[in-house]
Amino acid sequence: MTGGGKRSGAAFPVLAAALLGALALSASTGPVPISFRAAFDAIFRGTDDTAARVLLSLRLPRALLGALVGGALASSGVAFQALLRNPLADPYILGVSGGAAVGALSVALFLSADASPLLPLCAFGGAALSALAVFLLARRRSGVSPERLILMGVVVGAFLNAVIMLMVTLAPPGKVPGALYWLMGDLGLGTPRRVAILFPYVALGTVLLYLLSRGLDLLLLGDHAAFQAGLSVERVKTATYLTASLLAGSVVAVSGLIGFVGLIVPHGARVLVGSGHRRLLPAAFLLGGAFLVLSDTLARAASPAGELPVGAVTALAGAPFFLYLLRRNGRRS
Amino acid sequence: MIPALSARGVGFGYGDRGILRGVNVDLSPGEVTILLGPNGAGKSTLIRILSGILAPREGEVLLCGRPPGAYRRREMARLLSVVGQDPPVDFPMTVAAYVGLGRFPHQGFFGETSPEDREQVERAMERTELTGLRDRTLAEISAGERQRAAVARAIAQGARVMLLDEPTAFLDIRHRVAFYEIVTQLKETCGIAALVASHDLTLCAEYGERIVLLSGGTVAAQGRPEEVLTPENVRSAYGVAVACDRNPATGAIRVTPLRGMPPKH
Repeated sequence: MTGGGKRSGAAFPVLAAALLGALALSASTGPVPISFRAAFDAIFRGTDDTAARVLLSLRLPRALLGALVGGALASSGVAFQALLRNPLADPYILGVSGGAAVGALSVALFLSADASPLLPLCAFGGAALSALAVFLLARRRSGVSPERLILMGVVVGAFLNAVIMLMVTLAPPGKVPGALYWLMGDLGLGTPRRVAILFPYVALGTVLLYLLSRGLDLLLLGDHAAFQAGLSVERVKTATYLTASLLAGSVVAVSGLIGFVGLIVPHGARVLVGSGHRRLLPAAFLLGGAFLVLSDTLARAASPAGELPVGAVTALAGAPFFLYLLRRNGRRS
Repeated sequence: MIPALSARGVGFGYGDRGILRGVNVDLSPGEVTILLGPNGAGKSTLIRILSGILAPREGEVLLCGRPPGAYRRREMARLLSVVGQDPPVDFPMTVAAYVGLGRFPHQGFFGETSPEDREQVERAMERTELTGLRDRTLAEISAGERQRAAVARAIAQGARVMLLDEPTAFLDIRHRVAFYEIVTQLKETCGIAALVASHDLTLCAEYGERIVLLSGGTVAAQGRPEEVLTPENVRSAYGVAVACDRNPATGAIRVTPLRGMPPKH
């Protein structure tokens, strides 16, 4: 009854196993072969050889970063889809991506070369500012309507895109490729430090969203019915909006713009566990983590030198699926 | 008896366009009040004002003596439940989960489901004959079944005051009668105060103790069915000619439409 979904049963063990399997596959894929035995020794016995160093300082952090990023994007997507009551909403729909890009680019392009510690912070600041701007622009005395939020998100996003182009044009030429690579979305920055930066944001955001899950169920009824059923609609919407933006913004700050995870994973998770958010949110987190870790493994396998960003792989898989959703939605209405 | 919910001189409008003017309605515990009126008379607006979604421009609404704005949301939802006009067609959850949402105001911060919640949901589904459909999604059942699910959700909410906006619009005659039987039963066993907006003049005369006839944003008549359902009142509100007599089987007022449109005045 609380689950809300039609399907139940073994979805969670399967999803957890899928995520663990993806992590293991990711950790074992790469130019340096690492046996299971060597991995076990490196993790539990603290051996110190090449394999152990590659595993512990490169591959595992990168895999974990992928799981955190994918899980956070999927959770954020679930929240935005409930908030805007629109299955085509994603974490970037409200200008979060543009804001984060402007924030990060202003550091990367115009400040000194070793300004990288500031990069996540400025990306997050930019994301938060643009999300807040969209929210305030869409807000009226009668509340925040999904239509106005989407509209303002598109307007602010278009404006920020213009700013990005302007910045790239004016930037010193040597710095442009790196910035563009980051924009495409990549986990190559997966040092343990970045996992540590991202983890508190993702933990806080997912826990907060989980606490809001009953409210998100009620929001599906529509604002009036949710209000009459006892929900403080505006308060829950504001909290959801800020939390989902926090998740998306912190992820963009660390890994750039990785598209389509936040859009398609929620749909896959709904098929598995139904639409009740108490099951949907954790399921989407696990599925999103597994999906992104696998995408990244695929990207690395396809181009061992690491020139294929993971964002390209998720877009390759995600864009056709998005079109499929659009067509199916169009047929229904 | 103190009214559970009352509107005192309520007026409402958008800009210059007035929708309601000087509406006085009292809902008492243990009484079913029917809200009649032609399309556009302001029935739905009145229900939105009574449930606190809209604030009246004039006058006041008092739920158990306090205005809606003075309540916390959950606290108010424990006192007042609403069945809206349009239950969601493609609500992506099962009937049982949908009805379970009615328990929200009774649940704690973490929204955990108690045995009491489960029992209330089961009883609400039994009352509305939905138990067999519990695992279907709302997209998979008929419009009438969805409407019954919306009523079940309001019943599960367990409030003493219920506002129902045309809850029988999509129901067949059997489920219409069943609906009014449920409301009557809730009135007698739980002492609820109900306001039912309806277009069904025949059944509302049978089941309603009080009728409020809304026309052009004002209360054209209110009182017992025989006081309100007169050919003159019906004609001036709806613009149709009717004959009103007593149903020989039940003694209730019976409204029968006559052929031909009366001249407008």
